[in-house]
Amino acid sequence: MKKVSIIGAGHVGATCAYYVAEKNIADIVLVDVVEGMPQAKGLDFCQAAPLRQYGVKVTGTNRYAEIAGSDVVVVTAGVPRKPGMDRMDLLKINTEIVKTAARAIAEYAPNSTIIVVSNPLDIMCMVALDASGFALKRVFGMAGILDSTRFRWFVAEKLGVSVHNVQAMVLGGHGDTMVPLPRFTTVNGIPITELLPAAEIQALSDRTREGGAEIVKYLKTGSAFYAPAASTAEMVEAVLTDEKRIQPCAAYLRGEYGHEAIYLGVPVLIGANGAEKIIELDLSLEEKAMLDRSAEAVKEGLKALRSFYTMA
Amino acid sequence: MKKVSIVGSGNVGVNSAFFIAETAAANVLLVDIQEGISTGKALDLMEAAPIRRYRTRIEGSDAIADIAGSEVVVLAAGLIRAPGKERSEHFQANAALARELATAIAKQAPEAKVIVATEPVDAIVKVVVETTGFDRHRVIGVGGILDSMRMASFIADALGVSPRDIHALVIGSHTGRMVPLPFYARVNGVEISQLLDAQTVGRIVDDTRRAGDVIVDLAKHANAYYAPSAAITTLVEAICLDLKVVRSVSVLLAGEYGLSDVALSVPCKLGAAGVEQIIELALNEEDRQALAASAGPVRALFAPAEDRKGTR
Repeated sequence: MKKVSIIGAGHVGATCAYYVAEKNIADIVLVDVVEGMPQAKGLDFCQAAPLRQYGVKVTGTNRYAEIAGSDVVVVTAGVPRKPGMDRMDLLKINTEIVKTAARAIAEYAPNSTIIVVSNPLDIMCMVALDASGFALKRVFGMAGILDSTRFRWFVAEKLGVSVHNVQAMVLGGHGDTMVPLPRFTTVNGIPITELLPAAEIQALSDRTREGGAEIVKYLKTGSAFYAPAASTAEMVEAVLTDEKRIQPCAAYLRGEYGHEAIYLGVPVLIGANGAEKIIELDLSLEEKAMLDRSAEAVKEGLKALRSFYTMA
Repeated sequence: MKKVSIVGSGNVGVNSAFFIAETAAANVLLVDIQEGISTGKALDLMEAAPIRRYRTRIEGSDAIADIAGSEVVVLAAGLIRAPGKERSEHFQANAALARELATAIAKQAPEAKVIVATEPVDAIVKVVVETTGFDRHRVIGVGGILDSMRMASFIADALGVSPRDIHALVIGSHTGRMVPLPFYARVNGVEISQLLDAQTVGRIVDDTRRAGDVIVDLAKHANAYYAPSAAITTLVEAICLDLKVVRSVSVLLAGEYGLSDVALSVPCKLGAAGVEQIIELALNEEDRQALAASAGPVRALFAPAEDRKGTR
């Protein structure tokens, strides 16, 4: 049985553990610094197993050493975004948390693939890459799948069609500058540009950009976790089963899309080796300009990171 | 729990019962004129339930009257066209059977939606509409959905990616003149022309057209049945669970795409009422003409005998 460790057993981490457990593809270790909490959640999961019919082991721990032998390590640890809090406010606190986690992963699970979920996502990917010293393909981030699943839901709801029919591609950084691509958003293959007027597509794109903030506004003291956890579980599954899915993820660019040395949401072939290949789409000038703007926002974030963090 | 009756307990009928059981969308009644076969297959399926964990009931009957109260009736009875046999002869035989069964459906299950899997599917859809007198939206042929699934699987093979991320759209008649639409074939929303060269796309289109014949040639004297059963199950779920799924299915046209009095596959929104919306794609002139031309072999089957010479 394969092994997945999830660092950070909060709502996103624990819900991700649940989705992964139900796929019956790996044993799961939940790691958190809060004493007793991951152990409690692990026990609770095991006690639901007879009814939910998963056969995998779920354990909780406060010790990084227990991630040894993991095939995939998911990093969800971090402080959540509070209302009025910009993603940049999280930067300093979460950098420290992700750095610590990535160093532990390099020590105890040196052959694993890291999936970063902590925000600000594109920057935390860079911290995880730097602190782990892993190969580029083996550190990538969950963002585009989440943005896409939100877009898919909004489109399905607007058209009154099944969500399973809708595919979407959302590129760019995981923030206000993300780039939903309507011509690559389809209902059973039919682009939504044939099914909805431009103004409605624009409204759905805008709502997608604000998707995370909309939920934070309702929750006041928390952020979304079902859709983020489901998105993460999709990536975990694709790596563990070598599924070769083409999904948008935050991947390290080396000249693709004209950008260098940043993490940005682009279509990625996901398989056993992590982000195995970056797919370069033939974007229109307008789409490319939006992606460039998004890349600029990520570069701003990296600049902020470098103001207090020295990369190896 | 809703009731689905499957008329014809051959490979397609029984596998559909199996797939439907696993989706938990409805209870299933298998009906066949061959005495005992339906009850035997139903028992075998129920005895697998404790291990496969479905809670739907599957029953068998030799009496067509038992379909009373069905939400959906699947027509999976009919002769397989022997290699070399005239298409028109095959059609006449299955049309006679379809008329007899359609008369029984109209009497016993006057509210049912009818899913037609009997070949030649487009022609049989028209026969069933005319015989039952049902609204054309309640008679749905398993045509383009199956061709689309096959095209999607060929695209997955060519790209080496998961078929989960692929949607394809094939419209027109379920014959060698079907119309695969590469523009609407998408990998997580992205046009396949962005990912594959024109020659490969051309090969995929050819393979899709020949896919049914290839299986008949390999299996000798047997049609494909796993993919057809999966297609039937998707349609049963769409209706019983009111999923509003968009799929390419054969429906009697009344002016859509400029065509009338012929059933062809076009994208339809499927829900509790059957075909709830026929989606008119913005086709280019070439595809529009190919769609009209694909009606040729279907219309020919209804032409007077002297005009039919030479068609196969």
